[in-house]
Order: sequence, then C-alpha cells, then structure tokens
Amino acid sequence: MVKAHPPVSDGLSPKMAPGQNAEPWLGEKERFMLLLIVPAGIVLVLFQIVPIIFGANASFRDWQLFDPVRTWVGLKHYIYILNDPTFLTVVLPNTFLLMFLSVTLSLIGGLALAHYLHRNLAGQWPMQTIILLPQMIAPVIAAMMMRWVFNDQFGVVAAFLDWIGFGPIAWLAQRWPSFFIVVFTDVWIWTPWFALILLAGLRSLPREPFEAAQIDAAGPWRTFTHLTLPMLRSVIAVCVLIRSIDAFRSFDVIWILTGGGPARSTEVFSIYTYIETFVNLDFGRGSAAAMIGALIILVVAGVMYKAASRVMDVSR
Amino acid sequence: MTALPVEQSGHPYRWTDALAPGGRQAFLWLATIAIVFLFLGPIVILVVTSLRPGWAVFYIYRGTDFTLQNYRDVLATEAVIHAFINSFLVATLATIVSIGVTVSSGYMLSRFRGPIPRAWFGTIYVFRTVPYISWVLPLYLVCYYLGIYDTYAGILLPHIAVHICFFSWIMKGFFDGIDPSMEYAALIDGCTRWGAFLRVALPSAIPAIAALGILSWLYTWNEFLFALILTG
Repeated sequence: MVKAHPPVSDGLSPKMAPGQNAEPWLGEKERFMLLLIVPAGIVLVLFQIVPIIFGANASFRDWQLFDPVRTWVGLKHYIYILNDPTFLTVVLPNTFLLMFLSVTLSLIGGLALAHYLHRNLAGQWPMQTIILLPQMIAPVIAAMMMRWVFNDQFGVVAAFLDWIGFGPIAWLAQRWPSFFIVVFTDVWIWTPWFALILLAGLRSLPREPFEAAQIDAAGPWRTFTHLTLPMLRSVIAVCVLIRSIDAFRSFDVIWILTGGGPARSTEVFSIYTYIETFVNLDFGRGSAAAMIGALIILVVAGVMYKAASRVMDVSR
Repeated sequence: MTALPVEQSGHPYRWTDALAPGGRQAFLWLATIAIVFLFLGPIVILVVTSLRPGWAVFYIYRGTDFTLQNYRDVLATEAVIHAFINSFLVATLATIVSIGVTVSSGYMLSRFRGPIPRAWFGTIYVFRTVPYISWVLPLYLVCYYLGIYDTYAGILLPHIAVHICFFSWIMKGFFDGIDPSMEYAALIDGCTRWGAFLRVALPSAIPAIAALGILSWLYTWNEFLFALILTG
C-alpha cells in the first residue's frame, strides 16, 4: 500500500484565513467533503440501504410472493431457519468450507505461480497470458466448461479415469465429489487473481534483504518463510480479506455447476436464499435467510478486519 | 566461511541443486507443462467442443469432425444478438456512471481526515461486505414497485450501486499515490477546492481510472446474479 500523503490542510486554503476557524460545525471544508460523496451516497442509499430495510421488514412477515396478505409474524422465519437441519448441517458448513478452501488453495497456488512468473525468463509473456485466461472468461462460462470437463460420461476427466482403470464415477450425483468440483472451479478462477497481485507485490520488494540472506547461506525455503512471506504480509492480508468476503457470497459458479444439488447437499448461503425465495416462493423466509447471512458475514468481516489491521492499516 | 559454497558454485544456491544435473531445467519444464495443461486445457476443450457438430460433442476425446455451424446458428439467433447488445450497453453505461460517481468519493477519502471520512469509509466497508443476495433479493420488489422491473434502468442502477463501495476504496488508493503538493500550490494561487480536484488531481489519476474502467466493464459483463433476479 502506498503511504498516504498528509491531507490538504486548512491553513493553505485562501478561503480560510487564520482565526476564521470558529465557523459553525458545517464549515466550507465539510460542505466540500459532503458534496464529494453525495452522488455515491445517493446511489448507495437508494439501491442498497433501502432494499436492505425493505428486506428486513419482509423478513418479519408471512410474505408469499405475489400474495397481498402480509401478516406480521415476528421472528418465526428466523426461528425456522435457525432450526432448519439443512441450514445448520449443510448450508453453513458448505459456505465456510468453500470460503476457507477456496481462499487457502488459491493463495497457495497464487504464491507458487507468482514465484514462477517472477523469474524473468524468455517465454514469460505467453505464460502470463495463459495464467490470466481464467480471469478473462466469465465465471458462468468457466462453470459450464468445468461441468463439461467433469461430465461423468463424456467428460475428459471421466475418459482419463476410464483409461487408467477406474470405473465411471457419477461426480455430480454425490455430495463430496460435487463439492470438490465446485472448490476446484473456484480455485481455478481465482488463483490467477492472487498470482497477479502477489507478483506485483514480489516485484516491489527491495533486493537487499535477499542478497543478505544469500550471503548468510539461508536456503530457499528459509528465505521464503522468513523474508518473502513477512514482507508480503500486507498484500496477502488485503487479498485474503477481499477474497474471503467475496467467496462467502459466491453464487453463480455453484448455481451453474450443481444448482445446490444433489438433494441440496452443495447449497451455500446464497443458493439457499435464492431457492427459498424463488423456488419455494416464500419471500419472508428468503429475506430472513438473507438477513442472517448478512449478519454472519458482518461479524466475520469485522473479525478479519481487526486481524488485518494488526498487520497493516487497512483504511489507509 | 558459510558464504563459500555460494562463491564456488558461481551462482546462488537453489534447492534444485540437490537434483541431478539438468534437474532444475527439467523441473521448470514440468511446471510449465502443468500450468499450460491446467489453465489452457479446459479452455481448449471449450473451443474444440464449440467446433464440433451436435452429435459429436459426446465423443469429445475422439473423432475429427469439425464444423462452424454452431457459430452460424448462434449468430443467426435474434435473442443471442439482442443479449450481446444488452450486455454491451449495460456494461458500458454502468462503467461510465459508476466511475464518475466514485471518483469524487475516492478523492474525499484520500485527502481528508476526521469524522466524516471515517464514517464514510466505515459505511463503504460494511456495504462492501453485505452479500449481493441480501440486497438484490428485496431490490427485486423495490424495482417492482418503482415500475422499473425488467427495464434497462432496473438492471443498470443495481450494477452501478454494486461498484460504489469497492471502487471508492480503489480510487482512494489511486489518489493516495498522487502527491498533493500540486493541489496545495493551486489552492495558494487562488484555485477553489473544486478546481484543485477537477483540474489538478483528476488529470493525474486518469491512467489509473482508465484501467479501473476496463475492470468495471468486465465485472458488469460477467455478472450473472443480478440479471437472473432482476429481469424476467
């Protein structure tokens, strides 16, 4: 992260002569600050805050889609969802497992790829392009592609397994193979993202500590764990923070690959909410699920923010 | 002396030195092949499948029949062409508006300190965190009541809203990297705050903003959930 410059100071503004600071609390500077954020604020309020209030209201009502009767039922939907075995034993573990596995594996893969690209060899540009390909195609396309690759009868993986002597495995008909394919696709899409950002981080590191480590005959692994990782930690912290929040809400890849199936066993929080609303047509329960998910991720993001702030100043 | 082996071998010690001669080269080749296989392989399969006649896609690993008929069929379908035009329009408009709206908010976050920027950053972080489904789901009904469900406005405005938080954050980073002393100079010479922002700071940030524009266009082009919920 770039070191922030000091703010535009009051004393330099010709409008604010010294001693004129005794203005009301909404001074010229504050008005300017508010004007700068007004456009963004209006869009944010209209299309995020208003819908969330709307959804919070709906989550306390018995609200069937397109049914005008909206009885106030209090916490009924919340109690239902928090007692729903699907939500507790499938949706929550899946969501956090996907978040954890996707972020960890893409981080490890991204670090490896970044080191691979960092060597400045001939033929680096084509390799960089190939590594970036998964980020260039839409996640929906990537998911459809992976579904084809992992098709249990016609897919390449099935053909390969057949060739080395394993019988056909109905990948998408069992929970853990389906979940594995979802994680694999997510990692496939996001490893290049980590690689690109970590590569930029690696290139901006100073050379001297590494030369010093070589003179002290530190092995490559020791150099990596004691120099590279600590020096990259702020970049890693930001990547993990952003990616974890995004992985929690992943929808399209799973929706295309498994649709939450087989038998709702690969549902994550977003899919659960969508199915409750548009398949079971219960807007109240869907909103309650959406609220619960939002609260969970707010707590998780708060904890991660605190953890990341120890390593670096996130807001700066 | 511990540094001696390094001097003698003529190049810094690498763990691959433990391998047989040429082992490092072989290892790098293997890594290269694995990367090409993993990242290019599925896309090659996608392209090859798109060139197969309809009955041959089920035998993806054999056969030599290729055809361009699929592409002709797709390009002859009105709905597909229409979908491409829609995606293009929405992505372009959403990019222009969201960049225009967030650039000032990023500038504010970068240049000022105090309770207002802190509160605004907190808001942005919180709403960046809220899962899409939690606000797009009720937005479906809000759009319905506003009468913009299944219209361009109905699909465009949420695509702008979704970028506000993240882009403000990124823009702040851009402006952090620009030295504010030019703006001080402009202020001393009698420029207004708006002038310092629009005429001094903004032009220096244009290259970074252009890059973010490309990213924004791609994000919108790739988005799936909004269109799934907000259009019929």
